[in-house]
Amino acid sequence: MAWGNPEQLALEEQLCEQFNRDNPDVHVKFLKVPGSAYANKSVVMLASDTAPDVLRVDHYNFANLQKKDFFLDMSELAKKDPTWNEDDFFPQTIEECKVNNRLFGLNVLFGGTVIYYNKTMFAKEGVEDPYKMWTEGRWTYKSFVDSAKKITKKDSQNRFIQFGVALPIFPTWTPFVYGFGGVLLNESHTKSMLADPKAVAGLQFVADLRYKHGCAPTPAQAANSAFTFEGGKLGMSIDWMGMTPRYRKAVKDFEWDVVPLPVGPVSGSTIVKGNQLVIPKHTKHPEAAWRFARFITSPETEQQLYVTNRRCFPTRKAVANSPEFLESTLPPTQIRIFLSAVKGGKQLPIDERWAEWTTTMNNELDALWSGRETDAKVVAEHAALAINKVLAEEPGW
Amino acid sequence: MVKKRSRKRLIDRQEFWGFLFICPWLIGFLIFTVGPMLSSLVLSLYKYDLANSKFVGLENYRRLLTQDPLFWKSLKNTALYALLTVPLGVLGSLAIAILLNQPIKGVRLYRTLFYLPSMVPAVASALVWQWVFNADSGILNQGLGFLGLPNIEWLQNEKYTLFAFVLMSLWGIGGQRMIIFLAGLQGIPESYYEAARLDGAGTWTQFRHITLPCLSPVMFFNLVLGLVGAFQVFTSAYIMTSGGPNNASLFYSLYIFRNAFEYFKLGKASAMAWILFAILLTFTLIQFAMSKRWVHYEGEAK
Repeated sequence: MAWGNPEQLALEEQLCEQFNRDNPDVHVKFLKVPGSAYANKSVVMLASDTAPDVLRVDHYNFANLQKKDFFLDMSELAKKDPTWNEDDFFPQTIEECKVNNRLFGLNVLFGGTVIYYNKTMFAKEGVEDPYKMWTEGRWTYKSFVDSAKKITKKDSQNRFIQFGVALPIFPTWTPFVYGFGGVLLNESHTKSMLADPKAVAGLQFVADLRYKHGCAPTPAQAANSAFTFEGGKLGMSIDWMGMTPRYRKAVKDFEWDVVPLPVGPVSGSTIVKGNQLVIPKHTKHPEAAWRFARFITSPETEQQLYVTNRRCFPTRKAVANSPEFLESTLPPTQIRIFLSAVKGGKQLPIDERWAEWTTTMNNELDALWSGRETDAKVVAEHAALAINKVLAEEPGW
Repeated sequence: MVKKRSRKRLIDRQEFWGFLFICPWLIGFLIFTVGPMLSSLVLSLYKYDLANSKFVGLENYRRLLTQDPLFWKSLKNTALYALLTVPLGVLGSLAIAILLNQPIKGVRLYRTLFYLPSMVPAVASALVWQWVFNADSGILNQGLGFLGLPNIEWLQNEKYTLFAFVLMSLWGIGGQRMIIFLAGLQGIPESYYEAARLDGAGTWTQFRHITLPCLSPVMFFNLVLGLVGAFQVFTSAYIMTSGGPNNASLFYSLYIFRNAFEYFKLGKASAMAWILFAILLTFTLIQFAMSKRWVHYEGEAK
């Protein structure tokens, strides 16, 4: 069972057919569910023991569902499988699937955040190419802001016609908190760390893009997709690697490429996250399900998914390091930066209560993003209190 | 007589046929409405997240009423929304119904045109309204600018968001409610007006003493349904603002939805649903009690 855009689903459907051809003893039926209903439907199916034998869940929901004891522990299946080798995969992709060192999923559609930039616009406005700056080690927060400011332009009636960058929405602003050395939650996930000066610095930096430097649209200006990257009205957009196929399809009249997130005062990190293929605990066909999940994450399939079609990023190091993956004739040409982004990528503190505390946090931070309050410290302190209250409650109330 | 009737065969009895004819609806109602309602009542006494359940008595209710600021905020938002939209909506629908009841040329066309907005799916109209409220180039702000008034960030500033939704609700005044009023208006016999005119009654007096009393049952019906509808507002806020900014458009149903299907706190969500039921029941009973003073039924001795 899966969700996604039509291209994604067509590809997965094709993979299922291929699997059925190669495995005459098993027949996989591919179940498509709209993204908006997916989370609900999978929970209800898992709870009522009617879930398909393999389903894809977003990592945002993985922890929560695992905690409810819906997933099969795959550790034994993996141990019995002679071809299984954890070292084939990027460590974060394995880590996402493990709880208490037991394996509960196989990672797919893994990826991190990068900056997509409009090469044509940079050249036209005479702004130095970010990728060049990055290779020369000059791609810092300062040069990022400078570029964004230079790109931002108004017309003769004093109306904005293009902005340097779109304000990242959660969780894509998290790299800036990490960049200043901040974190979202403490180690044990019991306290919000937003009010910590390092996290505040990150939030302030993001808010300043809009309200101090004026190089990002306000929510009102950005409403109804007035400024989008594919529309050619943004110089840069911070987004997941998975946007690549869409931009390849949608962007026709300008050149674009990717560059890593700029290097912050403390570190230059991005965030990484995948989806997981899971097997319901009470499945009647654990072996067949495992075989299918392994097929979807096999080198051959990854080659098809991520090299030929550039869906996100491979979970296998070998595929990611293969010349076929790293060479690209279509934009983004600098696939190498995906690799570096993933290698240094940090994870989000996703836990069973993720939906709850992030909703609270985003509500509180609205004040900052909308400019009602420009001092990030005030907002962050308020937000931290609210999040702490949520986290202090016994879960489930 | 009585004895004779009770010996009538079942199929000769009117009640049997009555129930038989409504039984598709009745069965559906029992299975899909009463059943879930009862199970939600039971659920509201449990702490239930689909995987684990624990009986907790009235704890869900206690926590909602004493410890959940968002519960109160969503209730406040919804109550304010209902307070503004119900009277405005009922009066607006009545006004349009009266206009569309005039014997003018092309009145059928106008009726169709005014009814059209309610044919638009809620999601589509929410998307359209998102454009209307666009702070930069929306038609509403352009109108304000034309009058020399400043731009308002309708959906981005928490001060205005609720009013934006009230404004948007007026889009529906030409819908079902208007049709019901129109039917009510057409049910008033012309002879009443004739008699009044012979007695020298002016337009206002006719409206005040004939139209309003004759319409009062319809008005009552629309008020009750309007209130119930207003308390269940969901789609527009879910699509346009998802409750933001800063929960300014977090309506009660949206918060129930979030608890149930985003946080999977099904016990809490059920408890909220029952509180809403109690609130609506109370208001409806109050309306019924008050209706005795102003609703006039045909053929009723007063």
